[in-house]
Amino acid sequence: MDIFTIDELRKTFTNGEMKEEILKGISLTLKEGEITALVGPSGSGKSTLLTIAAGLQPASDGKILFNDNNITSMTAEQVRDIRAKKFGFVFQFAHLVPFLTVREQLSFMLDVSEVKMKNEKREQEIDYILERVGLSERKHAYPSSLSGGEKQRVAIARAVIHKPRVLFADEPTASLDSKKSKEIMSLIQDLTKTLNLTTLMVTHDEEMLSYVDHVVKMSDGLVV
Amino acid sequence: MNIAWKEIKKNKMRFFILGSIIFLVSLLTFIISGLANGLSQDNASLIKDLPSGHFYMNEDAEENYNLSRIDDRIREQLVQEQKDAVAFSIQMGFLNDESDKERSVAFVTSTDSKWFEQVGPGEIILDRSLEKEGMKVGDTLTHKQYKSSFVVKKFVDQKKFSHAPVAYINKEVYNEIYRAEEMQLLFTPGEDSTQNIKGLQSFSNKEFLNTIPSYSAEQMSLNMIVWFLIVISGMLFGIFFYMMNVQKIGLYGILKAIGVKTSDLFKMMWTQMLFITILSLTLSVGSSQLFNKVAPEDMPYHLTNETTLQLSIVFLVIGFIGVTLSGLQIKRVEPLQAIQQGEV
Repeated sequence: MDIFTIDELRKTFTNGEMKEEILKGISLTLKEGEITALVGPSGSGKSTLLTIAAGLQPASDGKILFNDNNITSMTAEQVRDIRAKKFGFVFQFAHLVPFLTVREQLSFMLDVSEVKMKNEKREQEIDYILERVGLSERKHAYPSSLSGGEKQRVAIARAVIHKPRVLFADEPTASLDSKKSKEIMSLIQDLTKTLNLTTLMVTHDEEMLSYVDHVVKMSDGLVV
Repeated sequence: MNIAWKEIKKNKMRFFILGSIIFLVSLLTFIISGLANGLSQDNASLIKDLPSGHFYMNEDAEENYNLSRIDDRIREQLVQEQKDAVAFSIQMGFLNDESDKERSVAFVTSTDSKWFEQVGPGEIILDRSLEKEGMKVGDTLTHKQYKSSFVVKKFVDQKKFSHAPVAYINKEVYNEIYRAEEMQLLFTPGEDSTQNIKGLQSFSNKEFLNTIPSYSAEQMSLNMIVWFLIVISGMLFGIFFYMMNVQKIGLYGILKAIGVKTSDLFKMMWTQMLFITILSLTLSVGSSQLFNKVAPEDMPYHLTNETTLQLSIVFLVIGFIGVTLSGLQIKRVEPLQAIQQGEV
């Protein structure tokens, strides 16, 4: 089922009198339970496309339809609300909150997304996700005591704990070695299928494409 | 989940340092405020203990009560017309005790009034501080300009003027010593009792206190220190939280990216500020009260609950402003910028 549609999306950056069009009319449809990877050389506009789709920066023109609602015409507060409740994010670095334990990172995300559930249920959900990402034993650890791979697993757990509809991953394996990258991609693939997520990711690593359902090649602001 | 509390728990030392600084600055503020108030009492409790009202002195005196002479006719008319109005005079001088040791006092005499002690010729009523220095009821005291002598009738609590203990004497005796037939000042109690009397200048209690030599200079200096300390504590909050925020800009950006409201980030800062301030203030209020008990008796220290409460509220407000101003940068943080900056 198509739940996320990008239609004729354009982005132009203005620097003084200079105007540079980074996205030149991108159209794309994402399906539930599938991973779509954006690939292409640096400067092709793939990260810009992902961040606009995720509501992290505005588009210059075009539409982004999520559940038939146009994100580009929403207020900043409405977009933030969607980011908190319906989207999940994994970045190149884990970006965990340094003073929260692994369990608290997930509990905090449930608060941010305003998920209402009893404490017992909340703990069950946290335990379930931690088990899925293989970090049950590290539940009470702080980020400073985790390895790079473990941090990224926590970031993934945080991105999906509130059961988002769309997962955005911006080069989630870029800071990891090959073995850990494969583990992380396998995890994203597994969670996308079992939680029925719609995943859009950016990657430079062609090895990771074996884990995705669709590959969208970009060059110079266009899908090629 | 209370993320603000989690951060304090994880970074105990950082918040302990801030709390300690706030504790020390607020304690210093309370103590200096107590001293300011104590000195103020020591300087002018005779006047400060009077109810709100209006003081009058000669216009020609140019706000110097020493030079003021109230015309007897005006004085009599006002004292008769105005309920509880009183005329009085104050002069600094010396008394010699039984061992002929000189004691500096403020001689005070007045017309009949419930606000001033009334004494007969040859009698004297003294401030309690002289009793602590060894004087007793029944002691005989002398003055160089007074042919007879004074017998100490009793002691009264907390009656000082210009840092000297007050000595109430009879009007005739006062006239003999200072060769002054007229009273220096008129006082009429009551907020609305001000009257335009030809040749006299009216002062509120506060205005009159400021005409006492050294009073305003002394109070101004101490109050300036108190306010300076309050501003410093506000700046400390601002700077401390600014430094913390600068370190956490990346984190704030990420939190905003995942959907945390900016208002929640402000609430986090305010919660931390409130927690640290209330804890520090509680400790410093306790310590200042302890100081109240252990301070040497000679030290003019007087910290009221009202002043403590007022200063505590000012500290909280200043801290809140400092933190809020330092937190304005959070509003400007762009999630995208934080993501692109790398690991926090």
